[in-house]
Amino acid sequence: MFSSYFKLAIKVLGRHRFFTFISLFGISFTLMILMVTTSFLETELGSHPPLTEKDRMVLLPRLIMKKMVTDTTWSVDTTMLDGQPAYDSTFTVGKMRQNSYSSSSLSYSFLDRYMRDIPGAEAHSFFCADTQFDIFINGKKLNFKTLYSDAAYWEIFDFKFLAGRPFQPSEVERQVQVAVLSRKAAVDYFGTTEQVVGRSIEMDGKQLEVIGIVEQPSNSKGYVTSEVYLPFTLMSGSALTETGFHGPFTAVFLAESPEARATIVEAIRQKAGRIPLPNPEDYNKLELMPATVIGLYAYHMMPVQDDPEGALQMFTMVAIGLMLLFILLPTLNLINLNISRAMERSAEIGVRKAFGAHSGSILAQLVFENVVLTFLGGILGWLFALALIYLVNDSQVLGDTQLQFNTAVFLYSLLICLVFGILSGLLPAYRMSKLHIVNAIKFNAL
Amino acid sequence: MIQLENITKVYQTKVIETTALDNISLEVPEGEFLSIMGPSGCGKSTLLNIMGMIDEPTTGQVTVAGKLVGNYHSKATARFRNEQLGFIFQSFHLINELSVIDNVELPLIYRKVSGKQRRQMAEAALTQVGLSNRMKHFPSQLSGGQKQRVAIARAIVGQPRIILADEPTGNLDSAMGNEIMDILMRLNQEQGTTIVMVTHDETMARKTHRLVRLFDGQQVS
Repeated sequence: MFSSYFKLAIKVLGRHRFFTFISLFGISFTLMILMVTTSFLETELGSHPPLTEKDRMVLLPRLIMKKMVTDTTWSVDTTMLDGQPAYDSTFTVGKMRQNSYSSSSLSYSFLDRYMRDIPGAEAHSFFCADTQFDIFINGKKLNFKTLYSDAAYWEIFDFKFLAGRPFQPSEVERQVQVAVLSRKAAVDYFGTTEQVVGRSIEMDGKQLEVIGIVEQPSNSKGYVTSEVYLPFTLMSGSALTETGFHGPFTAVFLAESPEARATIVEAIRQKAGRIPLPNPEDYNKLELMPATVIGLYAYHMMPVQDDPEGALQMFTMVAIGLMLLFILLPTLNLINLNISRAMERSAEIGVRKAFGAHSGSILAQLVFENVVLTFLGGILGWLFALALIYLVNDSQVLGDTQLQFNTAVFLYSLLICLVFGILSGLLPAYRMSKLHIVNAIKFNAL
Repeated sequence: MIQLENITKVYQTKVIETTALDNISLEVPEGEFLSIMGPSGCGKSTLLNIMGMIDEPTTGQVTVAGKLVGNYHSKATARFRNEQLGFIFQSFHLINELSVIDNVELPLIYRKVSGKQRRQMAEAALTQVGLSNRMKHFPSQLSGGQKQRVAIARAIVGQPRIILADEPTGNLDSAMGNEIMDILMRLNQEQGTTIVMVTHDETMARKTHRLVRLFDGQQVS
């Protein structure tokens, strides 16, 4: 049955070539955008190295200190008492409100003192991302993003090593001058990734031995995307000795399971309430902002203060809204085109019904034909999407994000084609399936 | 084989009410070749459509092959129509995008018949109407008479007990019309298929077992 439908679907496409061209153009363009968007979301939010375990991670990127004060109102009433004026004052204590606010990443001393024994965490790492260094080589200036971390960082984030190894706890402790480079940094500095391990790179006045080269993460997350990775004990300045709460560090905790992340989040929040503040007259309330990988991503995209989960909800709603809008408009357009195409076939539908087709089989046939059309559009859209992804990656318009078209994106694309085909075909097919046989046969000749 | 009891068909619009069939009662025994004649607009095709369960009477009862027709839009009625009835239309109603053999296979698509068996049955039906050498052709490559023979092959491929033909020779010249009529008569005589044919052609009608005349929606003979 479906081979017959398929044959007919292909033949029907040849009936009105202009209509077919318009339909295919609309479908392929829409699907191209949806595929590129899917590729972007999959690249940014998918579970790929070094974030394969992202669903078990809780990040702690911010510490917020607030001064909370109560609103008090003083009112004075004047009355006459024994011929003399008397004053009666009233204080009204209102709600607590925020008087001052300070928010930033955390200091190493704070993390070291309070965040090492978080229940539910299998491992944790403290790191400092996004320090910039200018390096001069052969008269050329290179700007390298640098990330300082402990050794546990490499256990939590599963970077793909092209050569060499990560630094060990003993090397961190002994402040050994070693570095792990990204593929890009190795190529920029040495011109190759071959036999780079063991060579030296000069940075920040230090001679660092390259001990490993990692594949460049394809996403834009600053806590994994860097060019040079160094032991945090090599940090200069007061970053490690500063005793205040604010500093340049971020923490990551690896939960035993995705479900156990809630335990970590709760433990961090509870702990925040028990930590004594150094200057209560300046700030009397401490809050910590634990976040999931996706929550933190949404937090950076959405205008929501200190609430990654709220940001994630808003991000999800905006993303779904935009996707729906983007699907809805071409779908409505395609529905219109399909209705006029289908009406031309009313006599055929009438004959099919006269010979035993019931409404369900007519519905299935027309939806199937539309899915075939959508998949043809999908193939074109896929080719366009590959070309667009190549152009986007080549032009680096998305910065560090290198869009991928992997199996997951391919499967999502198939799903999108199927949903788009069914959605745009269902209404015309339903209308045709309900046609009265006699009216349908009379409508026009085949 | 077909019993119509007090069939009335009224077409109603906001402005006007038209009675297409007025209290028609008719019985078509198994194996009969019946023709229906009458002037244009007298209700011939409406009567045929009601016999074929593709149109619903306003009042009255229809019994086809022993089954009282109830819900005209159900899956069961569609299946019953597929098994018991074959249709031939004046303007052939072949699907231009499909080859001759694919057109003939159409009724079998809605049965649980394998692709191989469908092909064999369609080939047999086309052989029966003398078109075994045109299987791969498309309708646009055929003459009017050949198209109608393809339509007959499509009507008989599922071996229905009843064939309903709406002016099958109406678009053909007399020679081709005679050819089609010969095929229908052969079907009736050799296979005992019950045939009801609407026609304007007195000569063709006289070749059938019985002639029913309609005038203004009423049976006059």
